[in-house]
Amino acid sequence: MLTFARNKLVSVAVKDRDRLSIHAILDDDIYGLEMDLDVGIENREILAIAGKWNRWTTPECSRAMPFLQEMKGDRIDEGIGDRINKVLGRRGCRHFANLLTECCHAATEAARVIRWENAKAARPDLSFRSFLKEEARGENNGSETGASEKSASTLRPSLPRVETVCGGREPAGPGGHGGEGRTEGFVIDLHAHSFPASSCSSASVDELIEEARRIGLSGICLTDHNHVWTSGQVEALRQKHRFPVFRGNEITTNQGDMLVFGLEKDIKGIITLEELRSEVVEAGGFMIAAHPFRGFLTFSTVQLGLTPEIAAQRPLFQLVDGVEVLNGKVTEKENGFSSSVAETLRLPATGGSDAHQASEVGRYATRFFVEVHTEAELIRALKSKEYVPVAFRARKRPVKLPEISLRGACER
Amino acid sequence: MSENILKFSMNRCTSVERLDDNTLRSVCRLRDTFTCASVEILARLPDLEIIEARAQFHHEWLEPPDVDNILLKLPGVRIGAGMLKIIKGLVGEEEESRQISYMVEECCQAIIISLTRDILVQAPTSEEGKLEFFSKMVRDNIRLYNRCAAFAAGSRLVEGTEPPG
Ligand SMILES: [Zn+2]
Repeated sequence: MLTFARNKLVSVAVKDRDRLSIHAILDDDIYGLEMDLDVGIENREILAIAGKWNRWTTPECSRAMPFLQEMKGDRIDEGIGDRINKVLGRRGCRHFANLLTECCHAATEAARVIRWENAKAARPDLSFRSFLKEEARGENNGSETGASEKSASTLRPSLPRVETVCGGREPAGPGGHGGEGRTEGFVIDLHAHSFPASSCSSASVDELIEEARRIGLSGICLTDHNHVWTSGQVEALRQKHRFPVFRGNEITTNQGDMLVFGLEKDIKGIITLEELRSEVVEAGGFMIAAHPFRGFLTFSTVQLGLTPEIAAQRPLFQLVDGVEVLNGKVTEKENGFSSSVAETLRLPATGGSDAHQASEVGRYATRFFVEVHTEAELIRALKSKEYVPVAFRARKRPVKLPEISLRGACER
Repeated sequence: MSENILKFSMNRCTSVERLDDNTLRSVCRLRDTFTCASVEILARLPDLEIIEARAQFHHEWLEPPDVDNILLKLPGVRIGAGMLKIIKGLVGEEEESRQISYMVEECCQAIIISLTRDILVQAPTSEEGKLEFFSKMVRDNIRLYNRCAAFAAGSRLVEGTEPPG
């Protein structure tokens, strides 16, 4: 028996010489919505847009409607999917965004049909395929877009960007001091992102380092997304700021994000976890599962039947050296769950802010019991398992730490 | 007159069913003026891990992508946060595979919404009851804050709830 079905219908007709008229419906078990759109045939500009809810969930869903108008005047091109997600999806309603994405794709395809029909008026025998070939070679006058144009170019999913970790809002408490036990041990924020190495960050590397020093951290580790800092660059930063700066790399694998240390190789695209593991082992490095349950506990664990013991059986945990159990971008519940899984597996537990702006540096960090000054010392320290994750920076609200024994799960 | 005759039409249906206690099947079928395609995903609970993916893809002029090979990369991927980047990275963003990638994402998204459905059926019917129900939903999942207009500042659903940070 079906537990859920979503039907979408999009129809495109010609309204007048210059514009297309698009009618679209999205109807599923939860939502029912409709959209009407006028789009310029030549320039593919969104000339008019109107939406209507038939069924919705919250009493505040109607607040999404004004955001539809923000798409008016936009043009359907390669980047339209991203703009729909940003403007309508995140600020308005992702279901309207989803349907608008389909409408834009349909408009692109309809415009192609119309160009063919126009070309056929002069040459009745022109087949669609021949037309596309000619368009690809730029042989049809007046066709500003060719068959080589990405046919599905507008099909960027307007799904929730639940994974986005950019742009936290809350500045930390004044001074940022008062992190628990900050005078003891050597405390490093093991997870931070700088711009432009991480496009989602808004902090320069200098700002991150200066903030780390200001709030009293012992060191900071740059873990930009799939980005390799050279040892020379990091050394220059150390000299410039007279502060311990380390380098890591946050690499996206088919099984989620991994923080790796001691790996020089520049990995682009999505790598499998197994491949990454081999690389890290070969390099003598260290690999930590970053925020392993980020966004995963939106559904109740009861609903999914997920317990730390069951989660611990995931093969991914057999391939990592440690688990990030305090991450500044996930909920306390998710951090707590990661912590329980790490404990179940007796895996070392770390903390890192995942800072994307300077004010986030040090929200969480890792306290080592030895001094760490070089990259080799950092790897050695990580492998020693002698550290605990800590909430370092003061927050507006007291943070409820997951139950972690004083010396971390690694010791049992 | 011919202006009422459609230039393009599309019909996409995505559905989810429970095969057994631990397995969900999500299927996305597309029929439009140029495309006839389907993508099928099997996902295992409680991890929401993709365990199998299949697809068929016929298009009027696009070269058929090597769907079998592309989809072999999907088992092991978890449905949830971070999946879009991973799916795009694995399936590829070439013109031929973009529709497949989108359909995989639609399948995964349908699974997530189907789980949401189980929660939403518990919502009360009165206005006050709904306000309380959805306010609590945001408080319990603070990640929802600012996710959409209904959960953004100014909405009654987030009154008194502190933004995440
Ligand atoms: Zn990160």
